[in-house]
Amino acid sequence: MKALLKKSMSLVLAVGIAGSLAACSAGSSEGKSADKDASGSIKLTLWDQSVGNTDPSAKLLPEIIEKWNSEHPDIQVDRSGTTGEQYKTKVKTSLAAGEAPDLFYGMGGGSFMQPYIESGNVLEISSYLTDDIKSKMGPGMAEAIEVDGKIYTLPVYTHIANLYVNTDLFNKAGAKVPTTYTELLDAVEKLKAADITPALIGEKDRWPGMYWYDIIAMRQAGNEAVIEAFKDPSKWDSPEFVAAATKMQELAKAGAFNSSMFSMSYDEMLGAFNAGNGAMMFQANWVNAGIEDPSSAVKGNVQVIPFPTFEDGKGKGTEIFGGAVDGFYVSNTTKHPKEAVEFLMYLSEQLGTQGYLAGAGLPSWNIDGLDTSSLSTLDTSAADIMKTATSFIAWWDNILPADSAETHKNLIAELLAEEITPEEFCKQMAQLKPTELKL
Amino acid sequence: MNSVFSNKKAIMIFVLPTLLLFCTIVLIPIVVSAYYSLLDWNGISKGTFIGLDNFTQMFQDPRALKSIYNSLLFAAASIFIQLPISLLLALILASSVKGEGFYRTVYFLPVLISTVVVAQLWSKIYNADYGLLNTMLENIGLSSLAQDWLGQKDTALAASFIPTLWQYMGYHMLLMYAGAKSISQDIFEAAKMDGASRMRTAFAITIPLMKPILKVCLVFSVIGAFKVFDLIYVLTGGGPLFSTEVPSTLMYTTIFGTYQYGYGSAISVFIILECLIVTVLINKFFKIE
Repeated sequence: MKALLKKSMSLVLAVGIAGSLAACSAGSSEGKSADKDASGSIKLTLWDQSVGNTDPSAKLLPEIIEKWNSEHPDIQVDRSGTTGEQYKTKVKTSLAAGEAPDLFYGMGGGSFMQPYIESGNVLEISSYLTDDIKSKMGPGMAEAIEVDGKIYTLPVYTHIANLYVNTDLFNKAGAKVPTTYTELLDAVEKLKAADITPALIGEKDRWPGMYWYDIIAMRQAGNEAVIEAFKDPSKWDSPEFVAAATKMQELAKAGAFNSSMFSMSYDEMLGAFNAGNGAMMFQANWVNAGIEDPSSAVKGNVQVIPFPTFEDGKGKGTEIFGGAVDGFYVSNTTKHPKEAVEFLMYLSEQLGTQGYLAGAGLPSWNIDGLDTSSLSTLDTSAADIMKTATSFIAWWDNILPADSAETHKNLIAELLAEEITPEEFCKQMAQLKPTELKL
Repeated sequence: MNSVFSNKKAIMIFVLPTLLLFCTIVLIPIVVSAYYSLLDWNGISKGTFIGLDNFTQMFQDPRALKSIYNSLLFAAASIFIQLPISLLLALILASSVKGEGFYRTVYFLPVLISTVVVAQLWSKIYNADYGLLNTMLENIGLSSLAQDWLGQKDTALAASFIPTLWQYMGYHMLLMYAGAKSISQDIFEAAKMDGASRMRTAFAITIPLMKPILKVCLVFSVIGAFKVFDLIYVLTGGGPLFSTEVPSTLMYTTIFGTYQYGYGSAISVFIILECLIVTVLINKFFKIE
């Protein structure tokens, strides 16, 4: 008997040790406080991911919320911010557990929010919206936020990806800012000869490398062919995408990217670019504020240009990678939908316009009458590029279903490491699942 | 008779709160995970019951097999590299060297630092551009050896093992040190009088008498190796190209990256079973000895 007890106790102990890992996945129960407090005012909780040092939204959000709280004593908003990847995990866990906050930030259009919209975790807000608020939105925004004719969010910023060029380093190397693929290869060669890292990729996080392949594919095949392939993945295995993968590998072989790319994270990539350790970076305009920050060594020496076009490519410089609309969502479990949407309208417009002026993102709201003289040249150039746009394709990892997005990013890492050939790459891309979005 | 009975009641009352707490935060999540592992479930909509399909998929998935292989390698490194060094340090410290307390603290210090901090520290040491390791190699004229330690497939695995081995070395050392210290001084004195050398004393007296604590260390280090997560996650995230993937990082990406809650739960159940089996085996092994 004693032996059995001893045995079972040691078994229980072992389970305990091993189980502490599994216990980590048990969700915590925070953020469910949509109750009226003693004074009768309504409390709303808001989660966002704006906490970065150089993120203008991180400064603006508390100000906007404070203003709202002082003007609306009966609707008090309580905000909590969490950084990027952790934020995604936090929101996913709480939504799955049915413990979501009243309002939360959702990554721009696509696979991140799609499952929650489909399963009814997010409140449909069409009926709460006033015409007044709709008329204040920028052109095309009302359509951009629709999912199957229904509205779940309001736009805040738009982001588009462009090539960031350190003109100082280009001058030092005697290289010309590239407008075509040949010029890009030429610039890479000259920069390398001058002992300058031509382009930086933070491939440890995998999506910065994905941005490069995606824009190369869009320049090679054109946006239309890419959209077709999203719907019918067998089209990924066509000569155009093989040519795109070949170019990506050609750039890697020519030494265009930093040799430490596989151990460099996204944040380290930004740090390296802002310290002047690389001449090019292909990123979206959320990096502008960091480049223009007083702490940046390259402030004033960076130019933003559309990604070079290809002599043999179908894509034009006006076909743009990005355009995803980021915004806040109202949870379906909120006890005060009307008040939550009221705050959502206020927040989205305020953050959208003030954030544009602070350099956080391109505007989704009507900006006539705003004083834009304080904007950096990076912001105005990005806004000018967006004005020329003939078509947009948002971030591919948001368009592809979640597991296909992972595969896509992993394949590009293998392509960069020369583990697979462009042909194999395209064969495996053809195995991806079609997009669940209406493009 | 009566007093024994009431005694048992008292025992039960005292144990109950802890037992309840243990059940809610440890046992129930495990049971729930085990149930999830039988589902094809994306974490949001309703899951469908698919039996053991997740487990069959796991043993056919090259990425999962690679991660298991990596964790076995890590366990081997813990047993054959980490524990011997800990034992050596413990034996030296326990033999009343000068500055015993100081060294004990120094070796134990890494255990107190948060793993994320340790990972950040080592990722700076390994950094290809300005890292301590590469700078050192260059300064002693070995610049040909300088490389991107965490960014290359063939060096990343070893490079990510070293910080964990380093961090928990002090922990095992302290356990063993306590074990060695608790041995009665009379025995050592007797050995000394018999003219036994230090080496002989260690192998014939200290180590055999430390057997219970050695068993504990072995169990802890193997289980620690099987469920290592935080350090690998911060250092490499399982990359480059899955070369440092371990079951727990794979579990994390399948659940939070690709929404495969069922498959991810299957991996977590596998880790639990793996740890259980090894614990039982180690206990058996020590009984035979």
